[in-house]
Amino acid sequence: MRTLKKIAVFTGSLLFPAILLAGEYELSVDPVVIDTGDFTKIGVGYNGSSPGPTLRMKEGEIATIRVTNNLDVDTSIHWHGLIVPADQDGVPGISFDGIKPGETFTYTFPVRQSGTYWYHSHSGFQEPDGAYGSLVIEAEDREPFRYDREYVVQLADKHPDAGAQIMHNLKNSAEYYNRTEQTLGDFFSDIGENGFLATVKDRWDWGNMRMMKTDIEDVQGFTGLINGRGPDQNWTALFEPGERVRLRLINSSASTYFDFRIPGMKMTVVAADGNNIQPVVVDELRLAVAETYDVIVQPREDKAYTLFAESMGRTGYARGTLAPREGMTAAVPEMREPPLLTMADMGHGGMDHSNMSDTEMSGSDMDHSSMGHGSMDQSAMDAADPFYAPGSGLLPQAASGGKFLSYADLRAQQPRYDYREPEREIVLRLTGNMERYIWSINGVKFEDAEPLRLQYGERVRIRFINETMMAHPMHLHGMWSLLNVGAQGDNPVKHVISVNPNTEVAFDVEVDEPGEWAFHCHIFNHASAGMFLKVVVEGGEA
Amino acid sequence: MKAKGTSTYLAAGFFLALWSFTSVVSASPGHGDQQRESMGQPGQPEQVDRSIDIEMHDNYYGVENLDIQAGETIRFQVTNKGKLVHEFSVGTPDMHEGHQEMMQMMVEHGAIKGGQINQQAMQMDMGDGRSMQHDDPNSLLLEAGETGELIWTFNEPVKNLEFACNLPGHYQAGMMGNFHFQQ
Repeated sequence: MRTLKKIAVFTGSLLFPAILLAGEYELSVDPVVIDTGDFTKIGVGYNGSSPGPTLRMKEGEIATIRVTNNLDVDTSIHWHGLIVPADQDGVPGISFDGIKPGETFTYTFPVRQSGTYWYHSHSGFQEPDGAYGSLVIEAEDREPFRYDREYVVQLADKHPDAGAQIMHNLKNSAEYYNRTEQTLGDFFSDIGENGFLATVKDRWDWGNMRMMKTDIEDVQGFTGLINGRGPDQNWTALFEPGERVRLRLINSSASTYFDFRIPGMKMTVVAADGNNIQPVVVDELRLAVAETYDVIVQPREDKAYTLFAESMGRTGYARGTLAPREGMTAAVPEMREPPLLTMADMGHGGMDHSNMSDTEMSGSDMDHSSMGHGSMDQSAMDAADPFYAPGSGLLPQAASGGKFLSYADLRAQQPRYDYREPEREIVLRLTGNMERYIWSINGVKFEDAEPLRLQYGERVRIRFINETMMAHPMHLHGMWSLLNVGAQGDNPVKHVISVNPNTEVAFDVEVDEPGEWAFHCHIFNHASAGMFLKVVVEGGEA
Repeated sequence: MKAKGTSTYLAAGFFLALWSFTSVVSASPGHGDQQRESMGQPGQPEQVDRSIDIEMHDNYYGVENLDIQAGETIRFQVTNKGKLVHEFSVGTPDMHEGHQEMMQMMVEHGAIKGGQINQQAMQMDMGDGRSMQHDDPNSLLLEAGETGELIWTFNEPVKNLEFACNLPGHYQAGMMGNFHFQQ
């Protein structure tokens, strides 16, 4: 009798394996106080804090997340990077109606992936106001690397102004938060170096573009956070010398790209956007807004190391510490000189710098030396990263002089799809009017744009042409973005594709999820200002 | 002109790195040499005390800790079950680090690509009679799906003796294991 019972249970588990693996989670959306060490403000958080708790899910489980809205306005949660049914994706107006004040909404979806992700509100200005958290999914199988302990390192750019106020100020003046504008003093020193006519012409050209060389970050004046803690609050993670430590780096900033390094230590990058990559040893890496990277470090010495994340425009930084014991610190580096955009970053469109072996190279033969501003930095060109315009002011260089990670280094460890040629290509121009602070795709802002229609079962290539002078981290919901690095089946699998000024970047999509999806720039104010599309997947079983 | 300058520079860097690699493994007086001698030497088939099967995956070993006796001769039967090229190399962390430069170069010059080894590129003459030939007695380099054998005689106990894959990033990501000398 006993044996029979056991068999019954055993058979049951074979028939319904998913039912046995259920993950239940509770999140409340709350008004919270945020203290960065530099300032205190009222914001939005989860379970009483910002950032919210780390949700730890298991690959293969059915996740059920009850979200209770304690705000007096609607809210929503988007599971960033997770492949979920369209009605669980959490974008009000596209996936569902949102969550009303006082209401509890229950999300349910199968967890079909592993790795490092995050979640955030897709309503109003709640995400820049603090409504974000990390999401870690434990792999079903053994992972292709080893570590003794792990930490989430969630970066954010916390601004003293409320999100809505920031948008309002940018609409009034796109330069409202530009604290690094070139001054009259710069003008005279440039005249000294370059001569009067050249300097006046240079200023005139930039004026015509309605851009400035310092337009790298349009929201400055923030405090960089690691896991909610400002530089002086010094978030600290512990290790035993010799241990391998996995850092799950997440950039949950509203606007800011961060360059991350640990002075004195190399990092081995093992995953990008939650998907394992063939390991790359680097000194430093850049995290576009909304990207995640997993790195493994092995501090061998009994001493503290600084986790240092400078913003791409060098206007702020986040800092933490990796140490054998609490209370230890290491030197905090000075921020490097702010970069200046160059004429190479000017958006002419139609230039393909991506140098991909398997793509047609149309329009790639534009001669930059004939642009009449022949002062490009030769050393920067020698260290060329094909994902930056040659001579770009944004081209990153490692503080140590060593290796800086490039998209060109990324190769999938386990491709999710067999490679096939895309059936068609869709060109999306990233466009904007900086002066009026309108951001758009193909010159049309979201309110006026037709949805982008994809057919279920097709493979499409989406080619971005960035005609603006800012980098745009483009995020397609619902389906993976297979970044074209020229490696075909080994192209990395991502959910954010960062497109630098005056470059083209292509990615393929296996259109395998029916329904309606958001597709937008993940710089919060760019999406709000119109750099946003609705994608409709036609066919399939919705 | 610029391209030529670059390739000369590369060739020089290549030569230097190769040379430094060679100096690590070849007999030269000093501390490294003592370490190398004490960690053992290739063994003969008739001396084999026991065999150990090692599976290599992307990017880790099926076994990560091995107990051994000083003086023991072991036949390592190594199978690459991954889809990438992997190595089984016996050495200390310092030796592995030196060897990683060599491996990095092999990958950069196309001698190793994904799951395959390009034997022609490996034999490329690097000048002065040197090549990238991977013929170190303490390691096996295997293509995806390949099986190989390494017979090794361990001498006296060595601290930090490891087996490792020195393809770029693999060791750092954790593709290594430890030998533990038993009393």
